[in-house]
Amino acid sequence: MKYVTTIEDKEHIVEVLDERHIVLDGKTLEVDFQTISGQPVFSLLVEGKSYEAYVDLADDGLRVLMRGILYHAGVEDEREKRLRAAAGGGVIESGEFHLKAPMPGLVVAVPVSEGQKVEKGQVLIVLESMKMQNELKAPREGAVGRIRVKAGESVEQKQTLLSVH
Amino acid sequence: MFKKVLIANRGEIAVRIIRSCRELGVETVAVYSEADRNALHVRYADEAYLLGPAPSRESYLRADKILEIARKSGADAVHPGYGFLAERDDFAQSCEEMGITFIGPKPSAIAAMGDKAEARATVIKAGVPVVPGTEDVGNMRDEDLLGIAPQIGFPLLIKATAGGGGKGMREVKSLEEMPALIKSARREAESSFGDGNVYLEKLVEGARHIEFQIMADGHGNAIYLGERECSLQRRHQKLLEEAPSPFLDEDLRRRMGKVAVKSAQAVDYVNAGTIEFLVDKEKNFYFLEMNTRLQVEHPITEMVTGIDIVMEQLRVARGRQLSYKQENVKMTGAAIECRINAEDPYNNFLPSTGVITQNIIPTGPGVRVDTGVYPGFEITPYYDPMIAKLIVWGESRGQAIQRMRRALEEFRIVGVRTNIPFHQTLMESTRFLGGQYDTRFVEERFWTPESNDRSVPLSEIAAIFATLVAHQQTQRSAQIVRRGERDASNWKWVGRWERMHR
Repeated sequence: MKYVTTIEDKEHIVEVLDERHIVLDGKTLEVDFQTISGQPVFSLLVEGKSYEAYVDLADDGLRVLMRGILYHAGVEDEREKRLRAAAGGGVIESGEFHLKAPMPGLVVAVPVSEGQKVEKGQVLIVLESMKMQNELKAPREGAVGRIRVKAGESVEQKQTLLSVH
Repeated sequence: MFKKVLIANRGEIAVRIIRSCRELGVETVAVYSEADRNALHVRYADEAYLLGPAPSRESYLRADKILEIARKSGADAVHPGYGFLAERDDFAQSCEEMGITFIGPKPSAIAAMGDKAEARATVIKAGVPVVPGTEDVGNMRDEDLLGIAPQIGFPLLIKATAGGGGKGMREVKSLEEMPALIKSARREAESSFGDGNVYLEKLVEGARHIEFQIMADGHGNAIYLGERECSLQRRHQKLLEEAPSPFLDEDLRRRMGKVAVKSAQAVDYVNAGTIEFLVDKEKNFYFLEMNTRLQVEHPITEMVTGIDIVMEQLRVARGRQLSYKQENVKMTGAAIECRINAEDPYNNFLPSTGVITQNIIPTGPGVRVDTGVYPGFEITPYYDPMIAKLIVWGESRGQAIQRMRRALEEFRIVGVRTNIPFHQTLMESTRFLGGQYDTRFVEERFWTPESNDRSVPLSEIAAIFATLVAHQQTQRSAQIVRRGERDASNWKWVGRWERMHR
């Protein structure tokens, strides 16, 4: 199977030949890839060189954390890429965005009101957890939809706090 | 020695204290909240008793319950650790009244140093230099503060007299913006400490935060165990400490050490304590405050001096003399501590909670890890995000840094995100390597989204990792497809599988 893998802005063509062999940008390499005890830590031997990394799935691709550096990765198989190119490509930032609590905590403040126009990066909710106040910000501009929590309320992880459309 | 010591704390520091007690053959009593039943300190102690629900004010801050447990279990001493009840003079007083030794200073010394304005006034009398600022003890009205501000000069800081951790602190650049900032500082101080009193201090620019560990016994002996450089902070929270400070020379160290001892003696101090100083670019130093307890970062002092501070605390609390004289205290080599926090450095340092599923702790020459977590333990939102302290020692600062790099890479914590990558980046920073940093370094110049866009040396290897993980996912979904009835096309199945796992 052939993949187009983007690390930051650089594209690599990676073909998986079999369990032990891949082709990276035209170069055939012998690899040994193992999951360490079923966790997001992976061990990789490439032509005898040993690497270890945390790899996990994020909303917008994969995150590879290796030797203290985080690499944002996008992986598409070639077919997907061709389809997307045919469709005109580009991701339109639209639809409703639901702000979810990244961790359990106490809502300290809701500095916005329903219907209010917000800028990207504007603080929507202040959430206190582990003795620290954390500002949850708008990922893009828009208008605040329904606000489901109020100051003083305890929330669970992943609970929807409000929406922006 | 004591027969039995109750540790009124949790996490790594409770474990740390239990270890020294064990070595001395002293029995230990742990206390815990409902969230901490499986915590390491409960498992390590000889006895353990439940305090109450998870929130601190219903558990670790319940002085009455802790004292009741001390009495019932027959503990003859209480070690408060840091945080929680460690700097509460009323708690120390209650211990004393019950005939239980509080392992720390006298209540009067805690009170005198706990009120920042009173502490300033006390050390000024003893001839200790302080940052220029208001000298009145608390209760200053807004008009007084505004009147005195121009004499101190701008920029200046508004600070809470009961303060700590940057709460109730405001930086003021001009007289015009000051009234509003006083108001908000008072409000924050009131809500954090129940005391809205504030005072003013000149802002020392390009300042370093350097503290001295002191130790005093009840027989009039007081010594300093060298300094710790604590300038690397974020939002006034320390992230990394090192000893010795690359900024001090032998002469300045001796002068500051003597002043530190003098400050402690000004309040008739007994046991371990820390004097914090601000040091400006011209190497002028000013007393900032005294922490009347064991510090988070005490291990780096232990590494360079070879002195077990907790053990020394126990001895002194028992009424013995210090086992060291000033001339016997030698700093050898260099030590660094990285605070490992359950925070995501790539997402604005948001706290990260969850169950630790894997925890491979670095070991090897010159490495020490103080921690309270292990695989299977849950990080809850109730307490401090610090889950471990990684401490290394080296013959030189250079060796310590290389060792820290090695140890950070060995550390594998799975289940929560940690700030380990932040420390790894710091260990590569030329300013850190050169020892050229002040208290603003992290916030102003270091960890910004732009600075993360660094070169990608292992970009190809990262590409292989990402591809093989994605490939594995695809294979797995294909296998699920092959199971079951083929009532729909494979593509539909893949779509459903993906939706399910979104």
